[in-house]
Amino acid sequence: MSVTVDDDLWSAVGDPIRRRMLDLLLAGGGGTATTLSEQLPVTRQAVTKHLGVLGRVGLVHGTPSGRERLYHVDEAQLARAVAQLSAVGATWDARLQRIKRLAETIQRTRNSQGTDSAENG
Amino acid sequence: MEYGSIEREIHIDATPEVVYEVVSKPEHLREWWPDDAELDPVPGGTGRIRFGDPDSPDAQGSPVTVMEADPPRRFSFRWVYDDDATAAPDNSLLVTFDLVPSGTGTLLRFREDGFRERGWEAAVLEQAYLEHAEGWNHFLPRLAAYAAKLATP
Repeated sequence: MSVTVDDDLWSAVGDPIRRRMLDLLLAGGGGTATTLSEQLPVTRQAVTKHLGVLGRVGLVHGTPSGRERLYHVDEAQLARAVAQLSAVGATWDARLQRIKRLAETIQRTRNSQGTDSAENG
Repeated sequence: MEYGSIEREIHIDATPEVVYEVVSKPEHLREWWPDDAELDPVPGGTGRIRFGDPDSPDAQGSPVTVMEADPPRRFSFRWVYDDDATAAPDNSLLVTFDLVPSGTGTLLRFREDGFRERGWEAAVLEQAYLEHAEGWNHFLPRLAAYAAKLATP
């Protein structure tokens, strides 16, 4: 069975810039749209939009800091996102294995019924 | 790349016709996925799947709407949406089984889409389902018993 695990495929976590932002926020112990845009090949406005996406799913929280907002990663929520996605994938793996076994059992039963005069042990 | 999806492929030593029955008929669905399933496996058919003892406060369920039923090639349905809603791309998860003949068997291509559209709440709901549906410990004994029953002439 081939298993495709695309990055860590959560909507918010799926975007490479947003993942990089999470990395930077984790490494720097927080950051603002300005400090993040200085470390990324995108504008401050784009960073602000991405922070909005991350904030809506609870992956970052912002607190007022001067004229900007200081953002931190919600590590519990990030861990939940990663664990959730791998768990959903693993559960489908188990379901697909059950589908396989059921179908193969039915097939064997039909094959032997179709040739029940044959001596196929 | 669609980040909000899960994709898998698995080879099955059974014809597409047999695999199609297993993924679409309620009596087989009950054996590999939920504890109970009511479903009319035709396009637009609706039904319900349930996990756990229906009399228990922990019981969970979800409505299901069949999107495509094209035996023995494709079966797809939407689930994980509110009971009073109509299944749509922005409120549900889409499960698709594509069946491709492969030798004397079938290549089963599975995907589940909609996580991006559905967002975080679906993740939480699916997590709740996992707690019922997860694990070979629960399913293997049932599977073995079922397989033995089918194999008995």
